[in-house]
Amino acid sequence: MRQILLITDGGSNVGESPVVAAAQANAEGITVNVAGVVDEGTIGEFGAAEIAEIARAGGGISRIVTSRQLSRTVQMMTRQTVAGSIRQAVNQELRQLFGVESVGALPPPKRAEVVKVMEEMEETVSLSVALLIDASASMKPKLHSVEEAIRDLTLSLQAREGSSKVAVFHFPGDSYQKAAVMDSDWTANPAKLGALFNRIRMHGTTPTGPALLQVVDFIHETCGNIRTELVDTPQLSEGDLNEVRSDYVV
Amino acid sequence: MTTLSDKKPLPPGTKLVGKWNGKSYHLERLLGLGANGQVYLALAGGRSVCAVKIGLEAAELQGEANILASLNILEKQRRPFLLDVDDAVLDGKDVPFYVMRYIPGSPVKDHLRANGSHWFGVIGYRLLERLAALHEAGWVFGDIKSDNVLVTDYGQVELVDYGGMTAKGRSIRQFTEIYDRGYWSAGTRIADPAYDWFAVAILWLHCFDGKRLTQLSRTLIPQNRHPRELMKLVRSNPRLKPMEAWMDKAFAGRFLDSRDACANWRETIRETHSAKAKASQVPAWMAGLFAASIVLCATAAVWLFH
Repeated sequence: MRQILLITDGGSNVGESPVVAAAQANAEGITVNVAGVVDEGTIGEFGAAEIAEIARAGGGISRIVTSRQLSRTVQMMTRQTVAGSIRQAVNQELRQLFGVESVGALPPPKRAEVVKVMEEMEETVSLSVALLIDASASMKPKLHSVEEAIRDLTLSLQAREGSSKVAVFHFPGDSYQKAAVMDSDWTANPAKLGALFNRIRMHGTTPTGPALLQVVDFIHETCGNIRTELVDTPQLSEGDLNEVRSDYVV
Repeated sequence: MTTLSDKKPLPPGTKLVGKWNGKSYHLERLLGLGANGQVYLALAGGRSVCAVKIGLEAAELQGEANILASLNILEKQRRPFLLDVDDAVLDGKDVPFYVMRYIPGSPVKDHLRANGSHWFGVIGYRLLERLAALHEAGWVFGDIKSDNVLVTDYGQVELVDYGGMTAKGRSIRQFTEIYDRGYWSAGTRIADPAYDWFAVAILWLHCFDGKRLTQLSRTLIPQNRHPRELMKLVRSNPRLKPMEAWMDKAFAGRFLDSRDACANWRETIRETHSAKAKASQVPAWMAGLFAASIVLCATAAVWLFH
């Protein structure tokens, strides 16, 4: 299961539309979540609308929070997205196999069984989360909260039974060829993250769309482009659980 | 009208009829609002008191019901936690709900404030025993905090909100930041008994030194969050100072198992009792002086009336 988590504080202003970029990510089986961070003032009508729309196009969820709430929000969104994707896949399977509309339409005892399997999947499915951080000038005072949220997320992912990893990018990049810069390659270990945003140089632009596309490319290259088996064929019998295949293809 | 989507509580007297099991429930009043649903005090079949949780997401709600069902199996000698799982039709829409035992009581922090902090020895002992039973059955409670530890008369303890309950070895499903071992850089979020011990120690800090605890979490930079900072609070708090050794072990996860944590708690509390008793004993010289003064007074009286 693959996710991109975009953390930003406002609207994009250069390059391809981030909404289209998120839709492309979604088409490749990557869910895009967006956390909007506002501390003083508002995020602006345009910024707020764009944040919601990026998430909608990316098949994910969006939240607008203060930097104090960021750790909790990032955790919650990641978890909810995993649960949501599994629920969606299971509902689809129920429709195809049994003509049942959703898990909720099953009688409670059956529902209990299915939910047990779903929770097992949530805990064991392999999970890759690429974090994409807006490092434009207005985000500077919030970057330490962002860094903390990333560490906190890694700590939670590390506790999962399934394999989990995170990668970290920020944008804008140093040049126009590179919209985003990689701060950390895939890692499962919070200790390996190091100091994340030491070498950030501030630019005036916010190329959210191009940066998103670059991260999609990165996931495409490092994780392969085979859609997660889980989404296509969830296994609804308990014995098959150990065989939930991972999306990680070297 | 009676829709859930607007997050407004359903009016008292709303009747839920389960479409699978056919039981009916009269909602009396809202007990709590959560992120994923509402909990009501209700009457089952118009008579017995119970708590009804109504949610929006059937799968999510069923996950919670599953945990309660496993508690039913775990503790056969106690009254069952989970009483019913069903759907009701409200406004033409299916609304999933489950019914659980109603647990009266007040959060431990409020209870101590109302009844006196000298109750915390008993409450702590009962809480640790309760946790030990869960741990021995392979579970970790996860989301220990004042609101989830209810106390009734004479220090009886009940845990509520099992949303954080996690099988050992899995990742903790739900936790509260300030009670979380990971937040204080004191370990992982993998469920083990020590995760709960840590949260219990925080619970006492929260009960007896809440202000300084919140202050600490607000002012410390993340790299400096560490149990040693928590122990500084413990040592400088008159209520918690006598519990120093226990708190230190709980923060470091250094009990053999949860029974050991419990036994250790009992011993520590007994020691504070006997220390207090010693402090309040009348010194011998004072007793002597008192006896002498009575004798003197008697002699004086005899001499006067002679």
